[in-house]
Amino acid sequence: MEAFLAALLGAVQLSAKLILIIVPLVTVFEVLRYLPVFRKAGNVVEPAMRGVGLTRDAAVPLFTGIFLGLAYGAGIIIRVAQQKSLPDRELFLMGLFLATCHSVIEDILIFVVIGGSGFAILGVRLGLAVLLTGLMARIWKPA
Amino acid sequence: MSEQGTRLPLGEQVPDIPTRIRTGLSAGFKTSLKIIKVSIPLYVGVTLLKGTPVLDLLGKVFAPVMGLFGLPGEAAFAFVAAFLLNLYAAIAVIVPLHLTPFQVTQCGLMMGIAHNLVVEGGVLSTTGARGWVLTLCRLVIACAAGLLLRGLWLLGGW
Repeated sequence: MEAFLAALLGAVQLSAKLILIIVPLVTVFEVLRYLPVFRKAGNVVEPAMRGVGLTRDAAVPLFTGIFLGLAYGAGIIIRVAQQKSLPDRELFLMGLFLATCHSVIEDILIFVVIGGSGFAILGVRLGLAVLLTGLMARIWKPA
Repeated sequence: MSEQGTRLPLGEQVPDIPTRIRTGLSAGFKTSLKIIKVSIPLYVGVTLLKGTPVLDLLGKVFAPVMGLFGLPGEAAFAFVAAFLLNLYAAIAVIVPLHLTPFQVTQCGLMMGIAHNLVVEGGVLSTTGARGWVLTLCRLVIACAAGLLLRGLWLLGGW
């Protein structure tokens, strides 16, 4: 019984930490997400996106996925992907990038809270995403 | 391109700030509730199993695979939780295992790439981008990233 209570206490403490990350993060995102800055960010990152074979049309779903994640950002990703009817090549490249590097803020924060190194995680994921997507973009030439 | 004021590209209306704060808080708490409903029982379960031979035995079975990434065999449970559920479930398994900072980072990296495969595979397919190919890619990339981080770590700290 004592062991059970100790375990329960640990579980509650961990849950409290997670809630302290999730609630502010979701709230801040909800407040900021309509700012025009985010829509204009597309101009700044366009050259970088071209490097991995993507065009401006993919900017909104790409950045939604990078910052929000696939499950949470699903609504936006699916809608934009269908509305803009991105070509297959671009959908694949975007999917490959997001497969490697998505939901970076939340995912990394929760591992930092339990003792991981955020820089190492972000560095390897971003590096691999750029490398792999850039490589695939050169292998799969635009039609 | 002409300025469109506060119209969003997707045709949504922009709510005022108090509404956004309320939406954010309620969405945040709803998400938290969903998460802790899974993570509390998992955490308690793993903590209690730790004192029994069950976890040791299963840990030994997975030790060779997990060892490639510098992880103990018990970490395999965290991977199962991450693949099928989400990272919060994985964390509920990781914390009671008392891993080193490198091992936590390694889990964060590999699981960050490959988690919640069932639900997210569905999302990736709806974009028309062959969900199962991308899911397979995620597993392969996660392993590659894990070996890379292990290599960097062995080469002289990180």
